[in-house]
Parts: sequence; structure tokens; C-alpha cells
Amino acid sequence: MKAMTKYLLISIVFGFAAAGCTDNDAYETAYCTLADVSGTYAQEKDSVARIIKAGILPEMIPGDSIFLITIDSNSYSEENLQKKLVLDYQPSESNAQKLAFSSTLDEFAANLTESRHTDISGAMMLCSDYLKETRAGTQVMFIFSDMQEDLPKGVVRKFNEGEFSGIDIAAMNIIKLSADSSNPDVYRGRLKDWEANSIKAGAKSWTTMMDPSKIQEFIQKIK
Amino acid sequence: MESLYLIPSMPGLSIAIWVAISMVFFYFARVPMHKAIEGLMTGTAGGLRKTALWAKSVAEAMREKDRKVLLESGVASAQEKIMQEFRSVEAGYAKHLSDYPKLQLKLDDNITHIEADYKECGQVTPEAPGWSEVVETIARAQTSNGDRIIEKMLGEIHKSAVAGEKKALSEFRDTAAKRHKILASMAPVWRRLEKLSHDINKKVGSVLETSGRIDKYMTQFEKIAAGGPESIDMLSSKMTKLFIFSLFVLGVAFFGAIINFQLIALPMSELVPAGTRIGGMMVSEISAMVIVTLEIVLGIFLMESLGITNIFPQIAGMMRSKRKILLYAALFGLLFLASVEASLAILREALAEADAALDRSLAGETAGVILNETSSRITVIGQATLGFVLPWILAMVAVPLEMFIEASQHAFTRIFILIMNLLGHISDALAYIIEALFNLLSHLFDAYIIIPTQVANLIENMQART
Repeated sequence: MKAMTKYLLISIVFGFAAAGCTDNDAYETAYCTLADVSGTYAQEKDSVARIIKAGILPEMIPGDSIFLITIDSNSYSEENLQKKLVLDYQPSESNAQKLAFSSTLDEFAANLTESRHTDISGAMMLCSDYLKETRAGTQVMFIFSDMQEDLPKGVVRKFNEGEFSGIDIAAMNIIKLSADSSNPDVYRGRLKDWEANSIKAGAKSWTTMMDPSKIQEFIQKIK
Repeated sequence: MESLYLIPSMPGLSIAIWVAISMVFFYFARVPMHKAIEGLMTGTAGGLRKTALWAKSVAEAMREKDRKVLLESGVASAQEKIMQEFRSVEAGYAKHLSDYPKLQLKLDDNITHIEADYKECGQVTPEAPGWSEVVETIARAQTSNGDRIIEKMLGEIHKSAVAGEKKALSEFRDTAAKRHKILASMAPVWRRLEKLSHDINKKVGSVLETSGRIDKYMTQFEKIAAGGPESIDMLSSKMTKLFIFSLFVLGVAFFGAIINFQLIALPMSELVPAGTRIGGMMVSEISAMVIVTLEIVLGIFLMESLGITNIFPQIAGMMRSKRKILLYAALFGLLFLASVEASLAILREALAEADAALDRSLAGETAGVILNETSSRITVIGQATLGFVLPWILAMVAVPLEMFIEASQHAFTRIFILIMNLLGHISDALAYIIEALFNLLSHLFDAYIIIPTQVANLIENMQART
């Protein structure tokens, strides 16, 4: 009887422990940064790298992951994934990884390649695939672009229902085109369309950020 | 609804007919209707009154139980105090009375010494009797008789008598001087005697003081044992004070534990990096919490083995040698954990500095020195000291914890009694309202069937008259 009670107690303790054990994914954040390398926005690579380094990397904690994807003529391709990083749980190791990622960003900024067309939707879809794979509790997509899509002939992009489910999307550092300056409604209408399409595809939220210093506040809010 | 109209073209009349029918029906059903209303009232209000009675009786039973527990604990506490005083008296007697024979011996020695000195002072060399008168007579005879031989002889006798007197006087002076010297040597002995007497007074005084305290505790004990309402109130107020104070101290200790936890949580993630969480907490955070909890547990064992607290009777009942082993084990454990915490605090500072440097580097700043070295060292020393000291402070939690355990039973019983009384009063109030509502319903029913009732009364009166 005594032995039975002992085994029962042990199994209860282990049962509770096993039930209490959860994977870290739900508490982690996955960041996906889309950097436009087409047309006029290709000149912004340096500022994109700077914003990611100063705004996003310091907010990352051990266990978080980040993807750097370029927006070019045909973005829905594995080749567009420039760098993928999952931070180690050891703080010193994760700091070293951040430094290495910072170097990658510097290399990206120094690269002069430029694409003719702009496939933002393809990059967003690729990003969504990677983010979903992480199963992180918070998934966020940062788009660094002028948000002017220019698909090459034959490229078709259509968001599925639930394409961006559970993903917070933020359009960052949007530069205005000459047509936008002439008529702000064009610019505002374009952003509205993107917001409507993203929300329709299941995005958790859509945010347009002009000031890069608000990025930390935004991350804290969505976490 | 319209299907219920007896005359569809005249809905008003139809309703009036239905009302009249219902009045007649209810008039004939008035007795069962009254019984039904009464039954409902008894069922609900009565049930609530029973609940009120139950709640009050439970509150009363709890109060009685609490009273007994308070008395028991009060008596036990008073007994403990008296026992403590007796132990102190015992220790005092054992210490002071063991010195007493020595003290008495010293006193006797000193008295013997004084007696001897006194006797020596009493031995006086007697003066030669009548010498001055003889010398005076011879001096007078010298002048009246003219015989030169006799005169010379008498002169010699006079000389030797004067010399003898001088010698005797000198001897007397010497003896007196000796006596004074002896008396002077007695002064330190007197002082010693005075000091010894003062010592005895002090020791007797401390014993008397303890006896006074015992008297006070005995009076208190008798009062508590009598179990009067005054002593219950006093014990209750004492317990409530103890509860509030211990709760406050435990609250402060809780915040101390949080600070301690924050101090070691970050460096623990460096030592225990893991991707698993338990109950939403990272393994490194749980490890830090375990360290903090272990410090508290070791503190409890330390206080128990020192005899300051008495949470575990098994420890209190242990042999002295075993308790000593436990004491050293707890001390060593605490020292080890305090050292670990101090080193973790240093690691934390290093990690924080690395983080700050990384952030600066990511922000595009050059790796220049922003913090000057002195202030940085002060932070490290401060954190290490805090890491070392906090475990010892947390170890003291055992004392308020014991106080809290002791006082919480009374406090929670008081809260339970309060809830039960409140439940009783609310049930009573609800029962009163429900009774009033059912009475009102009964009166409204009577009012509704007033026309058939009056008609029936009229017919009855007419029948009675005929």
C-alpha cells in the first residue's frame, strides 16, 4: 500500500511536470524584414540596414528569430532569403549572433545590385511561409519599400484566405514617389489597398510607420 | 390571443368576461391559493432562515473553537515564559551560588584579619606608675637638705628617673605609631569587605528581579487560565497584531525575494540555457527561483537548529549534537548559496555591460568607452555585496513565517466567522423581504377577489337574516 502510494505520488508529480512543460515557441517572436532592392528604393539599402540594426535587433531576446528577404522582380523564391537567424538561449552567444547578423546587413547595404521590377506580394508570401514555420507566438513582418508593386509579365500573385493569419504587418520607411508628391491621394490610396488586402488575407494588424524610432514601441505593443 | 376572445368583435368585453370568470374561480380556490402562497413563503423564507441559523451556529462554534485555541496557546505561551524565567533563575543560582562559598571564605578571611589587627592594636605598653610624683618629691628634697652626697645621689636618681620617663614616653609614642600603622593597613580590607557586600547585594537583587518577573507572569498565567472575556480579548488583539506585523514583514521579504530573483535570473540564463518552459517560465528562471527558495528553506533550518523558531518539533527534539550538525550544514549551505549569488551578480553586470556595448555598436556608435571604469566597478561591488547579503536577510524570514503560521489560524478563523455572520444576516434580511412580498401577494389576491367575496358575504348576511 505504501509503495503504491509512493508510485502514485511520483506519477502525479511527473504528470504535472510533463503537463506543465511547454515549448518556448509560444513565447518567442519571429521577425521577417522585407527589403526592396528595386528602382528608386534600392538607394535606401543603407537606411534599411541601419533601422534593422538599431530598431529590431536590440529588441530580440534569446530564442527569437529573424529573416532578411529581398524584394526584387520575382520575390517568391528561396534565393531571396538573404539571412535566417535563430538566437541561441545563451545571452552571450545570442549577442555574438546579433553582431554577425549586423555584419550581414552591412554587406547587404554595400551590395549595389538592383532589380527592374518590384514583387512585394511574392516577398510577403515567402515571408509568411517562413514565419509560420517558426510557430512563434508573435510573428511580425516589416516591409521596407515604396509599396509600389510592379510585377513582371507572367508573374501572378494572389493572397490566399489566411495567408497572413496571426501576422502583424508594418510598412516601414515608405518613400514617396513623384506621383505621390503630386497627388497624396495616390499614395494614401495605395497604402489603403495594401492594408485592405492584407487584412482580408488574415493579417492580425497593419501599421504604417514613418518614424523608425517608434519601432521599439510597436514591438512592445504587439508582443 | 384573439382566439381567446369569447366575442371576437368586442375584445374589451371578452377580457372583462375572462376577468369575471377568473375572479369567481379564484374566489372558490382562495383557500388552496392561500395555502400555496403560504407554502411558497415557508419554503423560501424558511429555508433562508434555516441558512441564517446554520451560519450563525457555525460562526458560534468557530468562535468557541477559536476561544479554546487562543486560551491553549495563551496558557502555553505564559507557561513557556515562566519556564524560561525559572531556567534563568536556575542558571543564576548555579552561577552565583557556586561562587558563594568562595565569597564567604573571602569574607571570613578578611574578618579574621581585621580581628587580628584589632587585637594587636589593643596591646599597649603600660606607663611606669608614679614616676613623675617621685621625681617631683626628690627635686623638692634636694633643696631642703644640705648633705651633698645625698644631694648628689638624689640628683642621679632624678636624672635617671627623668631619663626613664623620657624613654617610656618614647616607647609609648612608638607603640602608638605602630597601632596607627596597623589601623591604616586595615582600610583596604574594609574596602574589600564593602565591595564583597556590594557584590552580594547585586546578585541577590538580580534573583529578586527574576522572582518579580515570575510573579508577574504567574498573575498573567492565572488570568489566562481562568479564561475570562478580558483575557480572550487581550489574546485576540495580541494575535491580530502578530498577524498584521508578520504579514507586513513577509510582504517586505517577498519583495526582497523578487529583487534577489531579478539579480540572478539573467546570469542563470547564461548558465542554464534551455528552450523549454515549465508553466510559462523559462528553466533558467525556475533555477533562479529554486535558489531563492532554497535560501529561505536553509534559513528556516538555521533558525530551527539555533532554537529561535520552533516550526518543526522533530528538530527541536533532536539531540544537541545532531542539531549542531544541522546548524553547520545550514550555515555552510547558506554561505555556499550566498557566494554563488555574489558571483552571479558579477556575471550579471558583465552581461549587462556586453548588452549595452552591443546596442551601442548596433546603433552605429564606435566601441568607445561610455561608462567610466570607476563607476562600473562600484556597480559590480554593489551587486556582488547585494548578492551575498540578500540570502542572509532572506534566511531571517523563518521568524516572521513562524509568527504568521501561529497567528494566521486565529486571523482566518476571524475572517471565516465574519463571513458566516454576514451570510446569516443577509439570509435573515432576504427571508424578511420574501415574507413581506408573499404577504403582499396574499393581500393583492384578496383584493382581486374582493367583488365575489363581498357578494358572497352579502348573500350570507341575507340568508342569516331570513
